[in-house]
Amino acid sequence: MRVPLPDLRARQSAPAAPVTEPVGTEMPVTADRPVTDTPWHVVVWNDPINLMSYVTFVFQKLFGYSKAKAHRLMLDVHYKGRAVVASGPRERAELDVTRLHQHGLWATMERGS
Amino acid sequence: MRPSSRTFVRRRSGGYDVRLGEDERALIATLPGQLMALLSGAGSTPSDRLHPALRRLLPPAHTSDAEAERVYVTLQREDIAAHHNEALSTLAATASATHLEVDELASWLVAVNDLRLALGSMLQVTEESAEPLGGDGDGDGDGEVEGNEEPYSHAAEWAVYHFLGALQSEAVEALADTLPPPLPGADDMVPDDPWGAPPGDLRWDGTPRPAE
Repeated sequence: MRVPLPDLRARQSAPAAPVTEPVGTEMPVTADRPVTDTPWHVVVWNDPINLMSYVTFVFQKLFGYSKAKAHRLMLDVHYKGRAVVASGPRERAELDVTRLHQHGLWATMERGS
Repeated sequence: MRPSSRTFVRRRSGGYDVRLGEDERALIATLPGQLMALLSGAGSTPSDRLHPALRRLLPPAHTSDAEAERVYVTLQREDIAAHHNEALSTLAATASATHLEVDELASWLVAVNDLRLALGSMLQVTEESAEPLGGDGDGDGDGEVEGNEEPYSHAAEWAVYHFLGALQSEAVEALADTLPPPLPGADDMVPDDPWGAPPGDLRWDGTPRPAE
């Protein structure tokens, strides 16, 4: 399943065009890493309701992580308040967030740096 | 917990036997309908304007980009609500079953979690008050019961909340060996924690860091 979500910021960076003048200053684009290629992070936030064992289970089920890895990510969520649980292109990140929401986890996505 | 007291007992022939009392079955037969009624009215309402019981079921995906969030709700809300509905409807329909297939128990797991999220949101559960038998959340001795001004006024709801937590915990345990084997290389696809540990004793979300 692909999510046909337009990249709302793509217009601002115009990555392929030969740049003769700065097009905009809102989104700085580094020479070797255009904004459109920057991976998105899927972030899961701590909450006091979800069971720790359930959160670990969902990470294993949705992402195919080993139990040890899923457990470490769950502990990061619990002790640090949030953790990046997956990373990738925007469409992939959006799909992951949707699946996490279907399982009742508190997930958001943000552009990596 | 003694093995004989388990709620879900794996059968060699497939699926699970379910051991629950009549009162418990009546509870999980009734609760899903209430939540499904709420869900059906969610539409494209932004997460922060939803009924309190729904906010954790339909959380935002974008917290700092209102337009991206609007698009997310437009495209994904229906799918997400349908997934919750399907699980809740399976739970209600099989509440009196003495045997569940693996995929039915997987639906129970999601649905019971949904009920806990809804109930927990309404009870304004905090980490302290969420402790089983902890109850009133006054263990920190600071005189505050964070976000929970009337800790004793919802005894029945708290009892249901804790029952659902125990039920969910058993469902996770029972389903553990149905997980597919880990995907080769998947563990290495996750970046190192880009933020590291937050400074001080607070977590990134501003809540107190629990003792390890």
